[in-house]
Amino acid sequence: MDDFFFSLVLAGISVGSVYALIAIGLNLTFWTTRTLNFGQGSLMMLCAMLVVFLASQGLAMALAVIGGLLVVAALGVFVERFTIRPALVASGGSMGWVVSTLGFGIVLQGVAAKYFGSQAMAFPDVLFTTQDYVTVLGQHLSLQYLVVLALSVSLILLLELFVRKTVWGQAVFAISLDPELALVQGMPVRLIILGSFVASSLLAGVAGILSAQIGGTVDPAFGFDLVLFGFVAAVLGGMGSSFGALVGGLAVGLISKLVGGYISTAAEHAIAFALLMAMLALRPQGLLGRPEVSKA
Amino acid sequence: MSRLRSALSRTVAHPAFHLALVLALLLGCRWLSAGTVQILTFALIAIIFSQSINLLTGLAGQISLGHAGFFGIGAYCSGILAKTHGVDVALSVPLAALLAAAAGWLLSFPAGRVRDVYLAMMTLGFGMIFYEIVREWNDVTGGTMGFPGVPSAALHTLSILGVRIDAAAYFQVVLLVAALVLVLVRNLTQSRIGRAFFAIHVSEVAAGSIGIPAGATKQLAYTLSGALAGLAGGLYAHLVGYLGPESFALPRSIEVLVIAIVGGLGSIAGQVLSATVFTFLPERLQVFSEYQFIAYGVILTFSLVVLPRGIAGLLLDPPRFIKPRALRRAVALRPDPAVLRPEAAGGGDGSLEVASVTMRFGGLVALDDVSLRIEPGRITALVGPNGSGKSTLVNVVSGLYRPSAGRITFEGRDITGLPDHRIAAARVVRTFQDPRLVPHFTVRENLLLGAHRLLRHTGAAAALALPSALEEEAQQLAAIEAVLALTNLTAVADRTISTLPYGTRRMAEVGRALLARPRAILLDEPAAGLSEAEMERLAQVIRDMKAMGLAILLIDHHMDFLADLVDDVVVLDSGRVIYRGGIAEMRRDPAVIAAYLGDEAATASEHAHA
Repeated sequence: MDDFFFSLVLAGISVGSVYALIAIGLNLTFWTTRTLNFGQGSLMMLCAMLVVFLASQGLAMALAVIGGLLVVAALGVFVERFTIRPALVASGGSMGWVVSTLGFGIVLQGVAAKYFGSQAMAFPDVLFTTQDYVTVLGQHLSLQYLVVLALSVSLILLLELFVRKTVWGQAVFAISLDPELALVQGMPVRLIILGSFVASSLLAGVAGILSAQIGGTVDPAFGFDLVLFGFVAAVLGGMGSSFGALVGGLAVGLISKLVGGYISTAAEHAIAFALLMAMLALRPQGLLGRPEVSKA
Repeated sequence: MSRLRSALSRTVAHPAFHLALVLALLLGCRWLSAGTVQILTFALIAIIFSQSINLLTGLAGQISLGHAGFFGIGAYCSGILAKTHGVDVALSVPLAALLAAAAGWLLSFPAGRVRDVYLAMMTLGFGMIFYEIVREWNDVTGGTMGFPGVPSAALHTLSILGVRIDAAAYFQVVLLVAALVLVLVRNLTQSRIGRAFFAIHVSEVAAGSIGIPAGATKQLAYTLSGALAGLAGGLYAHLVGYLGPESFALPRSIEVLVIAIVGGLGSIAGQVLSATVFTFLPERLQVFSEYQFIAYGVILTFSLVVLPRGIAGLLLDPPRFIKPRALRRAVALRPDPAVLRPEAAGGGDGSLEVASVTMRFGGLVALDDVSLRIEPGRITALVGPNGSGKSTLVNVVSGLYRPSAGRITFEGRDITGLPDHRIAAARVVRTFQDPRLVPHFTVRENLLLGAHRLLRHTGAAAALALPSALEEEAQQLAAIEAVLALTNLTAVADRTISTLPYGTRRMAEVGRALLARPRAILLDEPAAGLSEAEMERLAQVIRDMKAMGLAILLIDHHMDFLADLVDDVVVLDSGRVIYRGGIAEMRRDPAVIAAYLGDEAATASEHAHA
């Protein structure tokens, strides 16, 4: 195994774990409302931008991160209350919320471009620099990649544990199966839906910070590509499946990095989207998902 | 207010108004400044482009977040053909539309399989892939450096069929093309094609049940939409003379979506107005251009909630979907109830036969070896407790589910597992427990959907509103008069479904099924939620169907309603047939009593010994 290949694999797994995190953020709201926030990418961008901005104002890094996360959590409430809920009440199919959340994302992106400028901003090194590495079996392993990998995987595991082991997690599961039944059973469905959007936004914020750390810079358009990779990961693994999101995320990360390394970095996107379209056309339920049986 | 709106609607829809507007622009453009003429040309192109997304998203309900892809395919195709290969613009632009149509057709295959959020992602992916290809394919598209020097009005290098074309003349050409497009789209909207688009928009399942194939209809929508977007793109290329990938990235897809939504999805006039406004605003209003992107975002976030039907919904009466000329022709024809009577049956003895059908969902057995027979001129009731498999049986017969085992034959022909629209074409038609009509269509328009299968004229005939197409439509409209009279809906024929009470909707759905000229009809709880009077009316309609010789399957719970109506009864319980025979004997059958009242009531003693 040559070094180049190995470094690509590590990079692929590392960014793949972030894609998995994004995919799980999308899953969360998909469970509770069968909707996705198309503005998720903008939340990622905004969180990373805010961290850069707050840090540049002299705030300690940890505080800057908390500040960024608080803002995106609040925006998660906004998304649920003002884009998803009215669209679901007005019904008319999925068009409503696809359009409204997309619009919300565009607003955030536009505002960020207005106030922070559309130039890429350097993201500060939070834990390690790109030069830090450890050597394992004669291979240089970038510490940043390892930390990002460890963080995403542990977050995913924690979330999975939460859903499986806690009452609140079970309630989320119940709502995903039948929201009306959950409501008549007396579950605080509204609150849980709201919670899912806040959690989803927080995951987006974390994913944004991690991606910015790996990439080194952040700009207003930065989240959009990332969230598309997250979509691909979610669809590949099967929308709604946590394990699927992890597998899908790693697969997308690996494929895109290998294609980027050996063919062309420009082909990264095209391959990911081609994968998405092929997957949707051939097996919409994903590799690990089960087909939805709907009552006609 | 509403009178003002009607007056405005009539004016906007009037041919004289269109003619005057086109003539004024055609002749007046020589007096306008070069800048204004250019913006007007942009506006016209935006109008064509917005019609494209209106067809796909507004009519057929298929959201597209990658429409700039089609636009770009048209632009690059025409630009490259004209510049690199020296093809005349009069040929290169139609070829561009054709290529984009082919792209739309191809996209319809993967896209036709998914919906909702998946479709949004897929179209987004399509747009992104196009953008990436343009950026990377340096040899052909010039990559990120762009593709300059396309013969264009702006560069004074444009000639069409050997005639030098300046900016004003190009405006006139585009104006005529746009006017033609609007006429064709208007005709299509008021034809079987536009109505079929709306039908699959509202419910693919309901569309299939009356013989409208969802797949083929979507393919047509994507193809037509691609063609229009490609046409707009081709015209754009020869307006600006320079093509760069950034012009065809996501913001353009967003922009056209904003135009379509603000104009009012489904409204042609609304699109025209909105495309014009959104072309002029950034040019004339500095503040708007500065905050353009944010404004688009805000509009998208709130428009569907605040103004779901767009400007058109605010200013104009809702559009109608039958050509007034067809309606006028129909008045001259005499409604004749005989046209509803099915001609002599095809093969076999004309009965619908369900033989040993089993339907499993995973581990759940919904139908277990069910056999029954529905004969022409007889009413067979299918009863059973909730969850006994009645609706599943109707879904299997009507082609929504493919049975796990067993056979279904009609008139001696095997129809097992055929797609739903083919089963409707075989003259087996069903209704639904919840009426699935197009809510913003009138009763008459909904009924005409039922006759969709019988309208055989081509799409071209529909787009050109040829007399033959109108005549065919008028024939069916005359048949609709007969059904309206039969179902007592004549008084509400021109009211939209969403304004009518539930019972009336049910009746309209039964009428729509009748218009599909069934020889066998499956009525899934048609009496649920009806008042006494409505139920009596329904019973009469069902008797009329029987007299016409239809084979009728009637699902219902009201034993009193069924008692003096039906000829045979089949009782299902937990997916099995537990009784077959007359209704009077059914009431005494121990198995039936057990199914309805519980085992204890009927077989308490048996339980004690078990």
